[in-house]
Amino acid sequence: MKWHKIGKIFDPSQHALPNGCESFAQSPQALVCDDHVRIYFSTRARDASGKFLSHVAYVDMDRALERILRVADHTVLPLGELGAFDEHGIFPINPVRHGDKVLAYTTGWNRRVSVSVDTAIGLAVSTDGGRTFAREGAGPVLAQSLHEPCLVGDGFVQAIDGVFHMWYIFGTGWKRYAPDAAPDRTYKIGHATSSDGVHWTKEEARQIVADRLGPDESQALPTVTEIDGRHHMFFCYRQSSDFRTNAGRGYRIGHAWSDDLHNWIRDDDQIPLAIEPGAWDGDMQCYPHVFKVDERICLLYNGNEFGRHGFGLALLER
Amino acid sequence: MFIWKKLGKVFTPQEVPGRDWLREFAQAPATLVFDDYVRVYFSCRPGPDANGQYVSYSAWVDLDRRDLTRVLRVAEQPILPLGGLGEFDEFGTYPVSVARDGDLVRAYYAGWTRCESVPFNVAIGMATSSDGGATFSKAGRGPVLSYTQHEPFVLSGPKIRRFDGGWQLFYIAGRKWKLVDGRAEPVYKIRMATSSDGLHWLPANRDLIESRVEPDEAQASPDVIHANGKYHMFFCYRYSSNYRGKEFGYRIGYASSLDLVTWTRDDAKAGLGVSGSGWDDEMVSYPHVFELDGRTYMAYLGNGVGRFGFGLAVLDGELE
Repeated sequence: MKWHKIGKIFDPSQHALPNGCESFAQSPQALVCDDHVRIYFSTRARDASGKFLSHVAYVDMDRALERILRVADHTVLPLGELGAFDEHGIFPINPVRHGDKVLAYTTGWNRRVSVSVDTAIGLAVSTDGGRTFAREGAGPVLAQSLHEPCLVGDGFVQAIDGVFHMWYIFGTGWKRYAPDAAPDRTYKIGHATSSDGVHWTKEEARQIVADRLGPDESQALPTVTEIDGRHHMFFCYRQSSDFRTNAGRGYRIGHAWSDDLHNWIRDDDQIPLAIEPGAWDGDMQCYPHVFKVDERICLLYNGNEFGRHGFGLALLER
Repeated sequence: MFIWKKLGKVFTPQEVPGRDWLREFAQAPATLVFDDYVRVYFSCRPGPDANGQYVSYSAWVDLDRRDLTRVLRVAEQPILPLGGLGEFDEFGTYPVSVARDGDLVRAYYAGWTRCESVPFNVAIGMATSSDGGATFSKAGRGPVLSYTQHEPFVLSGPKIRRFDGGWQLFYIAGRKWKLVDGRAEPVYKIRMATSSDGLHWLPANRDLIESRVEPDEAQASPDVIHANGKYHMFFCYRYSSNYRGKEFGYRIGYASSLDLVTWTRDDAKAGLGVSGSGWDDEMVSYPHVFELDGRTYMAYLGNGVGRFGFGLAVLDGELE
């Protein structure tokens, strides 16, 4: 596979964002519409204590992904209620067209005391073409379970041959890498299926993509598409500690393929996105989202600082 | 109305020496009957930490089957360790309920984590004992019953039952967090789930017991026993605010059902109220009803929700 990097296509600092958000446009995910592509992302405001809250927003671009048509100036999906799984943030959001509705699989964040956060996957539904969403219940559709003890998130859903597939991540645990360090988490990519998109059966802690960096590799944000009859998964991966500012240990984009949606062969060499020092994505490449529009296969992704400065685009050369 | 004869407090955690993890509280009693003794599981706490916060453990005390006011022995260690960093049961394993499964004993317990905007969250885990209920191993690092769309937080108070060869789990699910004088107080309702294997649960997703004293009434300890052709549930309930004292604190309620699905609440029938004086003169809560040698007993908590132990009462007559 050869990918052509177009560069950064959205910079959150250049636009007015809803909910008092000013920076970050994380985990771009596309909903292809008749005359535009709506790209959802998570952006951040600060609460009274100075901590971040992630809110959902979107930008509409033309189908060539060259022009910005509009940026949402309204609340797309409010945060959850006091004590709920998504009280402190929704990041990311995965839009899925289903009949005349748009489903959104959200990752809700709630703050903890001994560790920073836990997450779970919720479901919200839009009946206005994806402009606004309403939750289906105050709780999550996929959460911690017997062998997935924490940090269930990053759901990416596709209906294939009448079955809903969800690729997502589950935490394998928290660890202190130094006695005085804050705990860091490790997560891996898992898989669940559903007949209705609401009730899910997990494979329960089966890691479906092999580690490249060893057991302390964290894998995030799986996205799957079919290319020439084969299923391809893109995701991002990093070391579980010292990954925020150490470019050598930070996120890179990985790849795996499958012919049966069960066995996945990891092959990162098929996603050689050039690393250019000093560029917007020179230190970090993360949160990939692959989709098709007008016969093109597009890869949206974030660059340095986990998407603080926006997201970019690469196109598959065929 | 049922007529209960109170036997007094039978277990006082402050009297047990040599266990740092068992300083106070003996909450949510649940029994397992043996040939010569009745093992009563309960939950307890070490002293508070520097911030005044508690963790909770579960353990057991064996009472003489011929004289339930006689303590034979107390567990040397908690039956379960606290969970690891970031896990659902990192800060507490309370309460616990047990049932026999062939040669094994299975325990369902509520695991506590601490949150930032609300004080805690709770989910239900499972553990297994192969030594007759003395020690247990957790089935996994996560819960068997966790947050779902319609039960978004605070799944607690498990009571495991084995009616008709199946598995029934009665528990409570949080409805909302209510801010009372700036403090987040949980409102929870009695719920039920069923399972064919005790691991995979199907929640009924409905409140079993209508609220009575106020819409935000909190309900706990749904303890179900089958007798004389129907199911009897003893539970406790309280107001949503100012419930740490006598006026709005816990009382014991009652409901009955023929099918475990439709329940008729009739608190006037419960028959066990606060005493005029003594260890249970402010509140009574966390009932557990069990049959032993032709008699029906209730274990329950008094003032301070079990801070100073649990007591027993014996029923005059039968459950009907």
